[in-house]
Amino acid sequence: MSLAAKKVIRDGLWTNNPIFVQVLGICSTLAVTNNLYNTMVMVLGVTFATAMGSWTLSLLKDLIPRKVRMIVQVLVLSFYVIIIDILLRAYQPAISKQLGPYVGLIITNCILMGRAEAFAAANKPGLSFLDGIMNGLGYGWVLLCIAAVREFLGFGSLFGIKVTGASFTPWTIMVMAPSAFFLVALALWGANTYKAKAEAKSKAGAGAGKPGAANPGAAAAAKR
Amino acid sequence: MKLKKESIGYVVAFTFVVCMAFVALLAVANQLTVERVKANQSFASHFAALKAFGLADASTARNEVESLYAAQVRELAAPSPGVSAYSAKIGENGFVAVKLTNPGLWGPITAIVAADPKAERLRGLEILEQQETPGLGGRIGEAWFSAQFAGEKVGADGRIDVAQGSGKGDPDKENSKVDAVTGASRTSDFVESLVAKALDEIRRIGGAL
Repeated sequence: MSLAAKKVIRDGLWTNNPIFVQVLGICSTLAVTNNLYNTMVMVLGVTFATAMGSWTLSLLKDLIPRKVRMIVQVLVLSFYVIIIDILLRAYQPAISKQLGPYVGLIITNCILMGRAEAFAAANKPGLSFLDGIMNGLGYGWVLLCIAAVREFLGFGSLFGIKVTGASFTPWTIMVMAPSAFFLVALALWGANTYKAKAEAKSKAGAGAGKPGAANPGAAAAAKR
Repeated sequence: MKLKKESIGYVVAFTFVVCMAFVALLAVANQLTVERVKANQSFASHFAALKAFGLADASTARNEVESLYAAQVRELAAPSPGVSAYSAKIGENGFVAVKLTNPGLWGPITAIVAADPKAERLRGLEILEQQETPGLGGRIGEAWFSAQFAGEKVGADGRIDVAQGSGKGDPDKENSKVDAVTGASRTSDFVESLVAKALDEIRRIGGAL
């Protein structure tokens, strides 16, 4: 695997994670993470639309005039979102009914436009496709973790299967949007603290013996 | 001739061609699946009618739905525009159901409501389509919510209250009250008025039977 591909994978999943670092796609995080099943379908939809959209836009990038760049991006991305909607309605009506407005919400996900603009506009189609997949998955694993906490505490179940006893009192707040706000905030805090510590450690390792070498990392963390 | 990418002619032509191409692809995809989507919708409607009558539940095999529907459910003449009516005989008793669309918070809610012809006790309710807030009002589509309506006694005022309760479902079938969705009182109000309207229709149809 090429170095560039490896970097794209690492960036999407961790170092430039859409939720932790780019802070994109937060709106859908609030809406869909109160149960794992909806989250899963949303993640698959976003991953597909981002990957296919980035691939198409990268193919077209030399033909697109700068003036209408964003219009074309929106057009291509919404094309894939509508395709997902049509396919679900025709072949998976049960899922389509359950998701209702969620599918349309994929287009409001800033990750799609963000990756089209930040990556696909300057990279080869294959790499852009990989970048779309990795950003989708990077968004996905964080969302699934949050959804697992919310569904477990809010309904006492995971993927709709009851895992707690009858004596368990569901935390209603976990089902509602506010809980997503503070869970996302906690996840952001945790991930960025961990990252800052890891950075400080590697810097301290590089400048071994220098007193106070860990401080720049800590200062960066405080700034964030 | 070398194309000037930023020239107005190129920009207009490019935008036009790209839009036409993607819209054409969508139109083709839509056309190819339109029959399937229609079949799915009619299946969903038949299944919901059976569930509202209590003749089927989530465990009913998909391939049995159409034969059950054909055997048990009779489609009645539409009582008013936009409303469909059905009847079914279960054991000794006849039941009437109506499918109607009423406003919701974000968009229309379509549901099938079944009751005895005098509309004294609900037989069942199935939400067919809704666009309520995902995770809040959208939960009216969940089984625990609609299950509360099955067998519920209709109040003296001809209504069933959808009001704040434990949020887990109200098991009392005699109090003419079901639990609203926590955090979605507006949506719950819309469901309440939809059920009241459906009961009026059923009473009218039941009286004419």
